Amino acid sequence: MKRRTFLAGLAAVPVAGCGLSGTSSTSSAGNGQVTGEITFQTWSLKPKYTDYVNGVIDAFQKQHAGTTVKWVDQPADGYLAKVMADASAGSLPDVINVPPDLSFPLAKAGQLVNLDESLKDARSEYLGNAWQAFEIPGKGGCYGFPWYLNTGPIFYNKALFRQAGLDPDKPPTNFKELEEQALKLAEKKIAMLGQTPSIADFGLYGVKLFENDKFTFNEPKGVEFVQTYKRMYDAGALIPEALTQNYTGAGAKFMAQQTALSPGSAYDLGKFKTDAPSLYANIGITKPITNTGSANMFLHGVSVPKSSKNQATALAFGRFVTNAENQVKFAKLASIFPSTSKGGDDPYFTTEDGTDEARVRVAAAKQLKTAVNYTPVQFSDQMREALLQQLADAMLGKKSAKQALDDAVNECNRLLK
Amino acid sequence: MKLALRYLGLLSVLAISIGPFLWQFMTSIKGPGEDVFVPDFIPDDPTFSNYAAVADVVPVWTFALNSLGVASVNVVTNCLGAAMAGYALARLKFRGRRLAAVIFASSILVPFEAILISLFLVMRGLGLTNTLTGVVLPGSIAALNVLLLRNAFLALPAEVEEAAIIDGANAWQRFTRLALPSVKGTLVVVALFSFMFSWDDFLWPLVVLSDQEKYTLTIGLAYLQGTFVQNQRLVAAGTIIAVLPLILLFLLLQKHFFRGVGEGAIKG
Repeated sequence: MKRRTFLAGLAAVPVAGCGLSGTSSTSSAGNGQVTGEITFQTWSLKPKYTDYVNGVIDAFQKQHAGTTVKWVDQPADGYLAKVMADASAGSLPDVINVPPDLSFPLAKAGQLVNLDESLKDARSEYLGNAWQAFEIPGKGGCYGFPWYLNTGPIFYNKALFRQAGLDPDKPPTNFKELEEQALKLAEKKIAMLGQTPSIADFGLYGVKLFENDKFTFNEPKGVEFVQTYKRMYDAGALIPEALTQNYTGAGAKFMAQQTALSPGSAYDLGKFKTDAPSLYANIGITKPITNTGSANMFLHGVSVPKSSKNQATALAFGRFVTNAENQVKFAKLASIFPSTSKGGDDPYFTTEDGTDEARVRVAAAKQLKTAVNYTPVQFSDQMREALLQQLADAMLGKKSAKQALDDAVNECNRLLK
Repeated sequence: MKLALRYLGLLSVLAISIGPFLWQFMTSIKGPGEDVFVPDFIPDDPTFSNYAAVADVVPVWTFALNSLGVASVNVVTNCLGAAMAGYALARLKFRGRRLAAVIFASSILVPFEAILISLFLVMRGLGLTNTLTGVVLPGSIAALNVLLLRNAFLALPAEVEEAAIIDGANAWQRFTRLALPSVKGTLVVVALFSFMFSWDDFLWPLVVLSDQEKYTLTIGLAYLQGTFVQNQRLVAAGTIIAVLPLILLFLLLQKHFFRGVGEGAIKG
């Protein structure tokens, strides 16, 4: 349901771009008075973080007398469809919370304010890798204030490791060990993984994903990676549902103790504690597996559409929400990480207090300094689907690994146009 | 022996159809600290506090009231509008009647997602975005219901109506006095379908509405799935709350429902 609507939305964006070209030339970004009313739309933060967001809004309104910020929060389900519908109608809120893969199509259609142009001094306040995530690759220009970041460790199930005769204190540290241990687990009919690799996993393996405006993950290294998965799949190291599973579904399988290993986030520990206590008792935590030395990261940002009638206030508010002080506060509350250049220096992210939570947090914060958002911003939901299908064909042996990747890359390049 | 096998078959189908629902219910009454994902059917520490917690987390009653309003209006407009359209297609003679029926039938084939954006633009043009009217309007007379009722009207023997014409009844009188009473069963089906459809609809209200006070229950309950944290027990309790009215409605109208399904199936 969600997926199909996103496609419909994407298809509509170029139309919207045309419709708005008239307004974009008249807008003088960033120079106006900071006053008047704006609307701020967030991605599923109510009701858990209601107090926090209201606090930020109050502080902003106090700092800039005469401003009113109206907050709307949208559920995560259907968020893309909602934004795309608003975009094509030219009725986007003044400040919107978007991840890079959503800001990209909007920016490409000329719908978002370019921060590199309108706020030249903002760049230095944020981490370089976070700022880059909101640029249009190859063209420059940044189209969103980086907001919160996330990266995380790998969780594994020590009990399942023990059952298969593996040392529960020696989780895999590279892809070779991952395969070896997965095959051992498979001998005891225990599955290691709940998902076929995502595009970010290819990145972690060191595969070149995108170059010269084209997807390139069918290079030899990519093929080698898929062959690794094929061997594991044949041995039964992936659960059968893995072929169609998304990240959330795979996470649920790990909590149901049907898979032995799963990438996760700092906030997952709390979830394990309440929803899967018998897993929590046996939880192992280790570093993410990567061939490049950099872990994967996810991020969210805040963009200002050109259609906003009050860009000056919107930009000021976007910058305010994502400033160091507000981000650190939010990060502590939600077990995520700030994207400001100084945010990670807070002792909260650098000192351990002996608890698992703190250990995961400090490790993840360290990891973030070099982390990369591997998923290319051009990689749309439709492309994700294409890759998933081709990988399923490869796992089932309907196609060779090379053939499946070639087909996936061709499809993605076709969708790129 | 044969009987035992038959019952075994029936029981297994019962388990398949009711199992997931029961599972959800069991999850919703599990206390904190219990495994939610592992097959552990019976809660160790059953509690109804999750239901109260749902109401604390989101204004469930406001959402439910909005949903109820939207669904009720939908039932009325569908029963009335679809009956009138269906009667016209089945009984009135006018040029292009066939074509109209075909257009109705083919519109069922267009997936809603394909027209989502254009529909939204229309609503915006009408100034109905962020209103409950905007939520109701696109589904107010569903093509499927029109066809259901058309078939039901066709099942009514033409002779009856001819007799009414001889007695001097005009189209309206034939419609209200003769045709409508004879398709009660199908009307119940249409009412149930339109209630269910609008009660369960997620995407359209989500796209149209922006203010939380106007949200319908399905969107409101999506708030239980937070970005970073979600409590599976609350989600389960929320879904049970959402599905309860549907079950009650079905049980109440069950008798008519099955009669109506049969009624529409026989063509005149």
